[in-house]
Amino acid sequence: MTRSLMTSVLALTLASPALAVEKADVIDTYADIAEAAYGDSLITAQALVDAVDALIAEPSADTMQAARTAWLAARVPYQQTEAYRFGNPIVDDWEGKLNAWPLDEGLIDYVDASYGGATDENAAAALNVIANPTFTLSGTEVDASTITPEFLAETLHEADGNEANVASGYHAVEFLLWGQDLNGTKHGAGARDWTDYASGDDCTNDNCDRRGQYLKAAADLIVSDLEYMVAQWAEGGAARSTLTGNEDGAISAMLTGMGSLSYGELAGERMRLGLMLNDPEEEQDCFSDNTHNSHYYDGLGIQNVYLGAYARTDGTLVTGPSLSDLVAAENADLDAEMQLNLSTTMRKLGQMKTAAEAGMSYDQMMARGNKGGEALVMGGVNALIAQTKTIERVVATLGVDDVAIEGSDSLDSPGAVFE
Amino acid sequence: MKNLVLALGFICAPLGAAADVATAMLRDVVDHHILPRYSTLAERADALADAAEQNCAPDAAALRDTYHSAFDAWIAVSHLRFGPSEVDNRAFALAFWPDSRGATPKTLAALIADADPVGTNPQAYADVSIAGRGFYALEFLLFDEQISTSGDATYRCDLVQTVTADIATQSHAILDGWTTGYADAVAAPSEGGPYRSTEEAAQELYKALNLGLEFTADTRIGRPMGSFDRPRPKRAEAWRSGRSLRNVEVALVSLQDLARRLAAGSDAVVASFDDRFDDALKVAGDLDDPVFAGTATPQSRLRVEVLQQSVAAIREVARDDLGPQLGVASGFNALDGD
Repeated sequence: MTRSLMTSVLALTLASPALAVEKADVIDTYADIAEAAYGDSLITAQALVDAVDALIAEPSADTMQAARTAWLAARVPYQQTEAYRFGNPIVDDWEGKLNAWPLDEGLIDYVDASYGGATDENAAAALNVIANPTFTLSGTEVDASTITPEFLAETLHEADGNEANVASGYHAVEFLLWGQDLNGTKHGAGARDWTDYASGDDCTNDNCDRRGQYLKAAADLIVSDLEYMVAQWAEGGAARSTLTGNEDGAISAMLTGMGSLSYGELAGERMRLGLMLNDPEEEQDCFSDNTHNSHYYDGLGIQNVYLGAYARTDGTLVTGPSLSDLVAAENADLDAEMQLNLSTTMRKLGQMKTAAEAGMSYDQMMARGNKGGEALVMGGVNALIAQTKTIERVVATLGVDDVAIEGSDSLDSPGAVFE
Repeated sequence: MKNLVLALGFICAPLGAAADVATAMLRDVVDHHILPRYSTLAERADALADAAEQNCAPDAAALRDTYHSAFDAWIAVSHLRFGPSEVDNRAFALAFWPDSRGATPKTLAALIADADPVGTNPQAYADVSIAGRGFYALEFLLFDEQISTSGDATYRCDLVQTVTADIATQSHAILDGWTTGYADAVAAPSEGGPYRSTEEAAQELYKALNLGLEFTADTRIGRPMGSFDRPRPKRAEAWRSGRSLRNVEVALVSLQDLARRLAAGSDAVVASFDDRFDDALKVAGDLDDPVFAGTATPQSRLRVEVLQQSVAAIREVARDDLGPQLGVASGFNALDGD
């Protein structure tokens, strides 16, 4: 390759219209949205802690319902941050503490007889920490007489090296607020009674004080974990400065996050797999039957990243130069295709959400032979697959391919889920 | 700068010649890698279903022989996860694994316990959970001590015939999809098709190679390895029928064929692939540990680890040499995520 030829190509490139948008500004918008969305996750998690405090102080049907409502609200901003996960190792290494699933909930509390006991895969699947102040774990005697955030984070979470031992995060709290959903693929969520937190003779299912202690510790841990992540995205934070120090790597990270969540994670593991297994345990928010919302806000988070716009929970709009602007400057048709595909996904996920809100919950959609439910879920899956194809075209067009290869989770992650 | 150089390559090379090389490569992969393997799968799946019709006893020699030969044929296409294999979840229906929550034995046990009539009707069986379908479910029906002896023998016999008939149906559906349009969609990309350019079609095939290598290293070999302190030999693939290592070997042989065809434009890259594949296959051949039971003891575990590293070494050639040669990115695949 001779220098003169390369120079002439450079000249050609430079002669094309100047880019209307700088990568640095696009990266700033991306980091600003992360800071705002994790910030909103923190604010709504603090409200969840307040509601949990009220439930423990004055257990009643009302305080129980208020805590559930706070949990549902907290999921809205958090799920929109998931588009940041796969492109940013600092997020991916951390998020398991907060959003791991599926979980063997018998680790935490009492379960129905149909749950079974310990399995080949997980010796701690039915440990029931709330009922057992001391127990043996991987051959070691463990003192759990006081359940603290530290105990959950350092001793119990992923105990015995098993990812199904989810001791903390949103889904542990969800289980403690709703209980097991014993309705299979029929309508209905978990139906834990508020008296599971009552004192004295009103207490149901025993150990109400320890259950409250666990719930409080798990909720507090969500807040402290989110405080950490908000700081990573603030001015000078590690997540932000990693990106601003490597512009092509940052653009690649954005697209990697969008594509990996769209395809392998959401369309694959979370939606299509559960549907094909007809297994309600494979639905993400299985205790609360909130899965339609979790999927919907995942999709919205992907769209937010591309459009460079996020509506905060207080109504403020965080917006700025976007990936869409970058792509439009290179290839307006491709930008239109990307926008259309993202919109189609949101419409399909919206149809699924609408049907769920009208009474066909996500686990019902997964039932064997429910053709309508299957069509709703597959509508979302197919749209997510289609948008991934376009994301690959965007990667090629923006010329961040070799960066993407090095940073791609697909080459680095040992966690295979299915083929 | 690398991208500029690549772009330059396209501009400077006699355009027709570059396009010819890419087009010939696509046609070669489709005609000589993909189509013959899917034909073989369909033929062997028919033989399996026929054997089940003749004698459905779990230990019947013909049934077990055809099970193994059809399973080999599946493994040889298991990396080709695009197009017809993804329509109507066909590939998922042929192969649901890994199964970390034990869905396959649970699903089969429930069908058998209820003598669920769906298990006697191959058409209706398409609605059953993928955990109850395909090669990995059939393995339980033929080789698992509990499942192969539970409930009513007549019902289990029907179920074996239903599952094998379903495997044949899915295998033919994938082959039909290739022969009635998808082969040309890949070999001759067009603006209105699933691939708009030779680069997009080449990327799909490149992704298939990477998927196969990743799945082989991280899942087929990595899953039973677990961690040093907590090895998981019972997580090996298809250990009940003794196929764990065999699946790795069959996969590598098929992936080598694909890699050589993809790299055909460069003798040097073909040679690099051959070195690494031959090495990995030799390590596998010398292993003498058909179900990776050795992962449980330090000395033999090391040998499985060497096998895993030898597959990782192939991935390096794919990433560092083949990707740039084809001018395509690794893209996204089903294994992305957690």
